[in-house]
Amino acid sequence: MAKITVDNVSYVYSAGTPFEVRALDGVCIEIKENTVTGIIGHTGSGKSTLVQMFNGLVKPSSGRILLDGEDIWAKPKEIGKVRYRVGLVMQYPEYQLFEDTVWEDIAYGPKNMGLDGDEIKKRVSEAAELVGLEKDALEKSPFDLSGGQKRRAAIAGIMAMRPEVLVLDEPSAGLDPAGRNSIFDGIKRYAAATGAAVIIVSHSMDDMAKYCSELVVLSHSKVAMTGSCREVFSKCEELESIGLGVPQMTRLVMLLREKGIDVPTDIYTVDEAEATLARMLGGAL
Amino acid sequence: MNNIALGQFYPSSSVMHRLDPRMKIIIAIAYIVASFLCKNVISFALLLVSAFALILLSRIPVKIVLRSIKAIIFIMIFTAVLNVFWTKGDAEELLVSWKFIQIYMSGIYNAVFIAVRIIAMIIGTSIFLTYTTTPIQLTDAIEQLLAPLKLLKVPVHEFAMMMTIALRFIPTIVEETEKIMAAQKARGADFTNGSLAKRAKALIPVLIPLFISAFRRAGELATAMTCRCYRGGKGRTKLNVLRFTYRDFIALVFIAAFIAGIVLLNIYAPGYSM
Repeated sequence: MAKITVDNVSYVYSAGTPFEVRALDGVCIEIKENTVTGIIGHTGSGKSTLVQMFNGLVKPSSGRILLDGEDIWAKPKEIGKVRYRVGLVMQYPEYQLFEDTVWEDIAYGPKNMGLDGDEIKKRVSEAAELVGLEKDALEKSPFDLSGGQKRRAAIAGIMAMRPEVLVLDEPSAGLDPAGRNSIFDGIKRYAAATGAAVIIVSHSMDDMAKYCSELVVLSHSKVAMTGSCREVFSKCEELESIGLGVPQMTRLVMLLREKGIDVPTDIYTVDEAEATLARMLGGAL
Repeated sequence: MNNIALGQFYPSSSVMHRLDPRMKIIIAIAYIVASFLCKNVISFALLLVSAFALILLSRIPVKIVLRSIKAIIFIMIFTAVLNVFWTKGDAEELLVSWKFIQIYMSGIYNAVFIAVRIIAMIIGTSIFLTYTTTPIQLTDAIEQLLAPLKLLKVPVHEFAMMMTIALRFIPTIVEETEKIMAAQKARGADFTNGSLAKRAKALIPVLIPLFISAFRRAGELATAMTCRCYRGGKGRTKLNVLRFTYRDFIALVFIAAFIAGIVLLNIYAPGYSM
């Protein structure tokens, strides 16, 4: 069964005024358990609205969001509980840090859940370890950390609630490659440790190719494509007509094929490209 | 949160919109003075008619203007009711006398007069200053009107710049507040339930990040301004220079005639006088 089902969801901003905007229009998707799902789409395609629906921050104008088959808005008063089960890391989450120490900031979510002291301690150190924050960083003020560390601390704050679904909106935006890798490594470790479903929103096709197994492509408030990475990236022209690119390695393969070199088309990451090209050149590179 | 009514400029090209903002400030002040000069039924009637004439002249939907009155309707009713009970008039016009409550005809008059005065003042100032004038025009005009204070070493330009920046960043900060609130809600913050103290405490995780980013943004803005060679008001010229036109002088004549009319009505019109 799907972990989250988005059932014919639409969302309209400022309904009934001249400024009415349809952010989502009849969206139907299924998020599988134990998988990393990527959501891609250009600016204004409705991605951020959609991710805020998964945990009930935004209520659909019509349609339903099902978590484990149950409508999350069936009991509107208990929407808070859904937010502990579906953890949302918003864009630039480092701007939400506020406590005196990193440790306390990570503990904010678990404290709101009403957990006892020992459990909170356990969860905070666990989450810090998952994102790779050292012990001495935990005692610092969050405002004394580097940009990448702040981002990881903020993500740890969500992980400490141990959500069954971890949703991240542009988790790597504005970070250098090293910072980006450490964020994604942390997410992978969390998924492996808890078996949670992970949803990542990103602009970077290369990150998507590297970390996601399922993809949802949004365009103009509608679902344009869904499927495995392979299925979606094989529809190169369609992606480009929406205004999205393909991973750089896919582009490389396309260029090689144009030159008459018969490279297999299902290559999306650097590792795959390296292995295939090495084989074709008849030896190790 | 989006509905905070701050300087709700209503774009249009009416006569009101085209007036010089400096003249609009002067006229708005004169209009408030006029509303205080009114003393009897006929002058208050004239005031009310003029307020609606302003709405028509500015071509702003009446519904939108009435919304700004809705916000102060409680204060209006409250002062009106107080006036009904507290005004003491002549014995022969006593309407109701029950225990310690005494209502005089003059009390009723005063209550209506004050309500009309408040309505006219709100309509007048909002038409002149918020609906038809952009915040930028307004600060520009204030800077120029206060320019004589420069002789007394008052940093007029700096005040105007501060006001411009403050107005510019209100929507940004509102948007940021919404984002941070959403982020903390995602971590289980609850802003709507619980006691007042509990709800106030729940705002700490919103206010701290908000202040920090406001300071950060202020620093960045200062750097950006320095990079573009901003060095205060000295020797600085304007892109859009304000110029009075014939329209502004016609408006000035109108308001002068209006005040004169009210003063004359106060003297010669019959009936109850405040």
